[in-house]
Formats: sequence, structure tokens, C-alpha cells
Amino acid sequence: MRIRFILVQNRQGKTRLEKWYGNYSEQERNKLKAEVHRTVASRDQKHQSNFVEFHNHRIIYRRYAGLFFCFCVDTNDNELACLEAIHLFVEILDSYHGN
Amino acid sequence: MSLLGYDVNFGHREAVSLINSVKYSEKQIGYLAVSLLLIEHDEYTRAVLSTLRRDIHDPNEWIVCVALNAISNITFGGIAELLTEDIVVQLLSPAASIFIKKKCALCLLRLLRRAPDAVDAGQWAAKIVPYLGHPDIGVTLSVASLVTALAQQFPEETRKAASVAIHRLKAVVIDNDYPVDYVYYKVPAPWLQIKLLRLLQYFPAPESAELRALLMSILRHIINVSQEVPRELQQMDAQYSILFEAINLGIHLDIDQGLMRECAVLLGRFITSRETNVRYLGLETMAHLAAYIDTLDPIKTYQGVIVRSLRDRDVSVRRRALDLLYSMCDVDTARGIVSELLRHMAVSDFALREEMALKVAILTEKYATEYSWYVDVMMRLVSLAGDHMGDEVWHRIVQVVLANEELQLYSCKIALQTLRAPVCHESAFKVSAYVLGEFGHLIANAQDSAPIDQLKALQARMPATSQAARAVALTTVAKFVNLFPEIKTLCLRVLDRYRGALDAELQQRACEYYALATVESEDLLPTVLEEMPPFPERQSALMSRLLKREGDTEDQRTWVYGGREINRERNLQKAGKSSTSLVSADKEEREEEEALSPGENNNAASVAYAKTATTLQSADDVRQKQNAGVVQEEKDDATTGLTPEEQERITKSKRHYARLLWEGDGILFDGDEIQVGVVAQYKPPAGRIGIFLGNKSTAPIYDISIHAFVRDDDGATAEMTTAPPATDEKGALGIQQAAGQEALPSSLMPLGQARLFFDVACRRVFATPPTLRIAYTMAGAPTVSELQLPITMGHFIDPVTIPVSDFFARWKQLGDSAGIGEAQNVLKTPFLAADTVEAGQWMRNVIGGMGFALIHGADPEPDNLVGVGIATTEGSGRFGCLLRVEPKALHGLTRVTIRATNPDVARVVATNINMVFGSR
Repeated sequence: MRIRFILVQNRQGKTRLEKWYGNYSEQERNKLKAEVHRTVASRDQKHQSNFVEFHNHRIIYRRYAGLFFCFCVDTNDNELACLEAIHLFVEILDSYHGN
Repeated sequence: MSLLGYDVNFGHREAVSLINSVKYSEKQIGYLAVSLLLIEHDEYTRAVLSTLRRDIHDPNEWIVCVALNAISNITFGGIAELLTEDIVVQLLSPAASIFIKKKCALCLLRLLRRAPDAVDAGQWAAKIVPYLGHPDIGVTLSVASLVTALAQQFPEETRKAASVAIHRLKAVVIDNDYPVDYVYYKVPAPWLQIKLLRLLQYFPAPESAELRALLMSILRHIINVSQEVPRELQQMDAQYSILFEAINLGIHLDIDQGLMRECAVLLGRFITSRETNVRYLGLETMAHLAAYIDTLDPIKTYQGVIVRSLRDRDVSVRRRALDLLYSMCDVDTARGIVSELLRHMAVSDFALREEMALKVAILTEKYATEYSWYVDVMMRLVSLAGDHMGDEVWHRIVQVVLANEELQLYSCKIALQTLRAPVCHESAFKVSAYVLGEFGHLIANAQDSAPIDQLKALQARMPATSQAARAVALTTVAKFVNLFPEIKTLCLRVLDRYRGALDAELQQRACEYYALATVESEDLLPTVLEEMPPFPERQSALMSRLLKREGDTEDQRTWVYGGREINRERNLQKAGKSSTSLVSADKEEREEEEALSPGENNNAASVAYAKTATTLQSADDVRQKQNAGVVQEEKDDATTGLTPEEQERITKSKRHYARLLWEGDGILFDGDEIQVGVVAQYKPPAGRIGIFLGNKSTAPIYDISIHAFVRDDDGATAEMTTAPPATDEKGALGIQQAAGQEALPSSLMPLGQARLFFDVACRRVFATPPTLRIAYTMAGAPTVSELQLPITMGHFIDPVTIPVSDFFARWKQLGDSAGIGEAQNVLKTPFLAADTVEAGQWMRNVIGGMGFALIHGADPEPDNLVGVGIATTEGSGRFGCLLRVEPKALHGLTRVTIRATNPDVARVVATNINMVFGSR
């Protein structure tokens, strides 16, 4: 599984956390952040899946309260595994910060 | 650089000194700074690297880890070569803690991904594989990722990984042998299971029945466990993720059709599930199933559901449904599916429409049973989706129409209809105009489609269309002038009107066509506007557009969308490249008999040429067949069993190679698709060789790469396309790409030529000539050719003239002393008998070309030739070399004796001469 980048954004589109695993220029990063927000925020929770096609890759996201946790992975990766990885990550963050 | 007038520097030196400190906190900060600041050619790089190397072997665990962290974050490849060995040692050492092992594995993975060439993983890959079975799950996880990446590059070395992975899976899944820490919502180590299942997909099904049974039981267990409905979302997700991966593996293994059918049923249940995620995954996995299953019937039962999914609320699900429909299409269902897709195209959103159009176009072409259907569908497609597709679709339509005569009449009729329809889309207009221009005469006799009607229809539409469409229409009008002389004046009037058009392109076209039409000559117009020949067969631009979307993944895809045929092609290609027996994709049957019997082992050279005669080959074989790199005398019986064309090609290749041993420039390889030429210049101990790659075929070739490398005598490869390492034990011959030249072009047109220069340096006496590997893709099929480069010790010999009297004195001296080399052979040279004088001249040329100075009058026999040369190497000094050729015309034999101060030199020169004389 190859993660290209991780973004945590709020509902307005402000990026709270970003980690890039690859060579992205400043300009590219801003463009990607805006696009990811546009794609993810407009999806309806109930009837939409957690996976979106994005530029030859896939974004796997989940919404926790007001934050969208988005992982960008390759098209041939196991999506549910990534989804669970996001959940594990959030759980660890929670327990680390004493929630 | 300055800031507010003050000089600024970033403290590289301080960072380096921090790294060297003993305290952990300082070291940590130092490495942090270094990983952010360091660039490739910095002067401090060497200091940093030596510190890193020392720290990796430090007994203190923390220090090792911080060093490894730094390595992972530093971004250039030079580091990889130098430190990989150290990291591997740490990984494999029994003293290293679990923590360090994990970090080492991940660090190696990072390095491997960033600089796959610099990290020569072939050597240590096999040693890492046993760690897959490590009791600690953390280590297994890290090593699994590393081995997955390795398995894609080095399938041979990592072969054992499959069985280790299976046993480990069994331990977790069936034996319930896992630590409690790794249980995630009641599922044991889900990510480990997924990684192992994914790893197994990169290997073919295991051969031993026992392993296979074990694997089946694991899969069955996983399927059974998932039958119970879990309560929590996370548990369900984890279970399903493992289940889907297991199904993917099951499909890939393709062992048991019963299993496949069961999977189909399971998947059928998933596609109708209420959870969107599950629907999505079900559709995707079913597309995978469609690629491998024998009959599509189990899948077809769900066609209704799938078509309904096209209207699903979620756009991702709709995409998957489209891909699945595309993959499961076959001759029976094609019509139904295509009409459904066309119906949906009208209501679907724009992003999806383009892909749909592409797929519909490809499907219609593949499965068209009646030509009328094809034309109807394509025209409808163009009208529906016209704005959203590129030009490739209507180009493809035209190509197909031109290639098939039966289509032409019907397409003309439809074209005229389209032009008359109330709404006519741009691309539809273009297609119609083109078709009428070429084949309008076919329907000219029918009522209502006389030439004048065609022209009127065209004219009626022209003002409303864009510039590009109008340009096509003008060409059609010009063709009408040729086709239908009776309406010439009307056509000319149209052209005349556009001569004053504002747009430059239109104006130019109109003027030129007008001039063409009004010129006096009889023949010019018909010749220029003659009917277009069908386009050459090449891979559809549509297919290549589709495949481009699939390409961009870090780990290779094990399957692609599109059903059975395309996956089968992919597997054949991959099998052809990596199998140890020479099985070429298109010559499977023939090659199987001729492939490598042990008898061919004795002749390295001729088998090496045999490799160049086929298009696909494996690096392993060439290594096996080259014994000590010494080229022995030709034996023609080694080439029996090959067809006459192959044999002829092999003899020609031998001749090319032999000629290049004494002539500087010439053709190295002349194949069906490519031609490789060589231009060489030597100034011992260095030389420069230029490789010219010419495209002989009618299709362009892409993704060209040319590598030159030296194989050591014991079979190890020392690839040197980048700067060679400082201490180089292995490389007797260095070959690298010359600096400062432009890179190879990304594509080569037919009859085009690309060139690449290599600098060669002879460090010590070497016996193995280097190999040239040329890889390219033509018409979607990747090809790799390996050729032996004509660079031998003999090329580094300079001629030296010595007085006549000295020659035999030296000759005796070399013959008497011990430890001096002599090589003597008696060769059959039938060409001597034919024409002695000409043969003698030829031999003189050869000897001169090989770097020897001919000494006339030294030998009492007038026919004998003697020569003197000096071989120069960088590291080992210079070797004197004396040559004596004694031809005996009457018997058709020649005795060749070489005496040199180094036995290897003598041997190599002798074999070269044998090859040259033998190939005449």
C-alpha cells in the first residue's frame, strides 16, 4: 500500500494536518488541498461510499465530527484496510491525548 | 543570501558537528537538521555519510534508530548505494532488537522505492525472506512490505516467500497463534493478513500439493468466519477487508472453478447489500473475477443489478459498475450492454461520460457482428458524447471505416443522414464529411444522394460549425472536385468564397485547393486526391488511452479492467520476460523444442546470438550460458534445432559481431524491428562507443532505455550506468554513459534513429565483453533485447613498430620464460584456398584493425604475418603482445599464435581472431 499524502481538513476547507509522501511542490500542494476539499466535502454521508476516484489515485476518507481524514492511495490498494487504518489512527490519537 | 541586510547561512557545519556528538539529544537535533538541509552534492555529504555508517552499527539502540530515521528522510539515491549493505547487516544480525529490525526493513523499503537501480537488492533479497516467519508480528509486517516490493523486481530470489507467507497465515488464521495486543475489534492482526494475502498475489499458485491444500483451507476458513454478521462497524470492515483480499487471491490463483463460482455468489450478495462501501468493493472484485473466470455465466445472472448500479447515488459505485460492465462484455451480451450504456450516457454526469464513451467505442469495435450496428452505434455515440471526448474517437471511426470495405457504403448513407438531421454534433459532422469525401461516389447513384445533394447538405451545415470542422469540410469539397467532375463549378465557388476567410487555416486550405483544382494538368488533381489507403495496423489509440489510466501505482497491478483477453495478454508478456526457459509470447510452441538443451551450453557465443534473434529473453539464461566469458571456437551444431530463418539470422549476427572486432564501425544487430549500429573509438586504456538504435518497423516505439553493464565471470552483475563506486573490486572493465549528452528520446518514429554514447575504461585485463540491454515498447508489447557489445581486450591494443631483427628475439624470449602467456590455434580457413592474395590482404586488414603493427620481412616465410601491439590498462599496466599468423593455402589451414606478457591477453586476442577468421 502506498500512501501519497494524508490530509485532515475541517468542513470549511482549512487544513489542520498534512503529511506528504512524495515530491510535491508548494503550488501543487495547494492545488491538491483545494481539490480534495471540493471532492470530499460535497459528498453526502448516507448514500455515498468512503472512496473517491482522484487523478489516477483514490482518496479514502472518513468524517469524524467536524474533521475529514483523507488518505490518498493507489488504485490497487485495499480500501477497507485503509479505512480501518484511519480509524486506528484516530483511536490512537484519542487515547494519546487522553480522551 | 541575506536577510534584512544580514548574511544568512543555515548552519550546515554546525549540524554536522551536532551529529557527531555523543549526547542523544544533540544527535537528534543534528540529524533532524541534516535530513532537512542536506542536498546531494554538498561538501559535507561525505562527513555525514561516514557518521551515519558509524551510527548504524552503534550498540546503543536509540542512536541506530535516529540514524535510520535520517536515512529514510534524506532524498537522494547516492545514499542508497553506500549504506544499503550496512542496513542489511543490521537487519539480519541476531543481536539487533525487534525495534531496529522493523526500522531497518522500512528504511530499506524506502530506499528501494526511491532508487531501485542503486540498491542492488538481488543479493540480499533471499536472506530477508525467512524473516516473514518471524514470531513478532511487527517485524513480519515490516518485512512483508519490503518483500512485496522486492517480489515485483526479483521474483526469482524471493520465490520462497510464498511458502513462508502461507505458513504464517496459517499460524494466525487457523492456529489462532497471535499475541493479544494485535487483535483489532476481535479480528486478529487484520493488516498482517491483508499484507500476506496481497504478497501471495505476486506469485503464481504454489506447486506443491500440500501448500496448495493449506492455502485453500486458509481461504475457506476466512470465508466461513465472515459469514457471521458482526455487530460493530469496525469489526465488519476489518473482516470484510480480509475477505475481499482473500477473494482477490482466490481469483488470482485460479485453481478451482468451484471456488470461483462460490466467489461469484458471495459477490452477488455483496452487490445488492445496503452498505455503499460493500457494493463498491463487490463490483470491483467482480470485475477482477471477470478477468479470470472461465465462463461469464455466474456473473451474467447479475447483469440486471449491475445495470441498475449505473444509476446508483454514489458516483464511485457508478464508475465501478461501468468498469464491470466493460469487463464482463462478451459476444452475446455486447449489444445489450452497449445499448444500456448509450442510454445512460445521456443522463450521466460529465466526468463519467468521457470514460463511458471511450469504453463504448472500444466495446463496439471489439464485438461488432454486423457492420451496420457498428456505424449506428458510433454515430450515436459521437452525437451524445461529442463534447466530452477527444479526437481519438472519431479518428478511430474513420480508421475502421477505411479498413473495412463492407462498412463504407452503409457509413456513407448514415453520414448523409447525419448531415441532414436537425441537430448535428461537431465530431459527427467531421466524420460524415470525411466519409463522404472518400466514398461519396458509392451512393452517388441513389436517389436523393446525388453529388449535388451531398454538397448541399455539407454546405448547409458549414457556417454553424467550428473552424476545425470547416477545415475538414473544405478538404471534402476539394475531394468532391475530384470525385464528381459534374459539380466542379459549384465546388469551386465554395472554395472561392473561403479564399477570403478570416481564419488563416481556412484561407490557406481554400487557396491551395482552388489552385489545385484550376491547374491545367490532368493528373495532378486525381493523384493528390486519390482515395486514402487504410491506416496501418496499430494499437487503437483508444486502448492506449484507457490503459494509461491504470498505470500509475507503486506496487504493480496484478490485473487490469477489461475482461479475460487483456489479462491473458498481460500474463503472457510477463511470463515471457521472467521465465527461465525461453518462452516468447508469440513463438511459444516453436521455442519449446529448441529451448536450451544442455548441449548448447558449450558455446557461449552462438547462444548469445540466439538470444538476440528472439525478442524476449531472460537475464538468467544469458548468465547461465556464458561460461567464464571466454568465447570458444564456433561449433555450428549448437545451433541445430532452430528454424532456417533463425539459423540464418544467428549466422548473420555472428558475422556482424566478428566484423566489429576489428572494424571500428558497423552494424551490431539487424532485426525485424530494430537495427543497432555501433561506432567506436579507442584510445587505450579508454574508449568511446556510440550506440545507434534505428526503428525498422512501421510503428513508433516508446519507452526506450539502453543500459550497458558488465557481467562478472562468476555471474554477478556490476551495473554501472551511474558513477561507479570509489573502490571497485569487481569491475575490470568500466562502462558508463558519457556525460553531457542529451537523454534518449521518449519515442522513436519509424525510420528514426536514437543514439547514446558510452565511455569505456579498461582497468584490468578482462575476459567478459559487456552486455547491452535495450528495452522498448512497440504496439503495447514490451521487448527486451540483450546484445553482446564488441568490446574486448583486443580493442585496447595499440600498434607498436619494432625493428625487424628484434621480433624473433622477443618471440623466443616470451616463449621461453615461465609465466608468460601463449595461445596457439590451428583454424580451418577455406577462404585461403579460394584466393590467396585477396585473403592475405584481408588478413592484413584484420590484424591491423585489431591494433597490431605489421612488421614486414620479419618472418622468413613470405606469406606469414607478424604483428606487435601493446595492450594498455588503467590499473594493471601495459602488456606487450606479439602475433604470428601462418597461413597454409594448400591445406586451407592457418596457425595463429599469440604470445603476450599476460596469459589472459593472449587468450582473449586468440579467441577474437578465431572468431573473425571463422566467420569469414
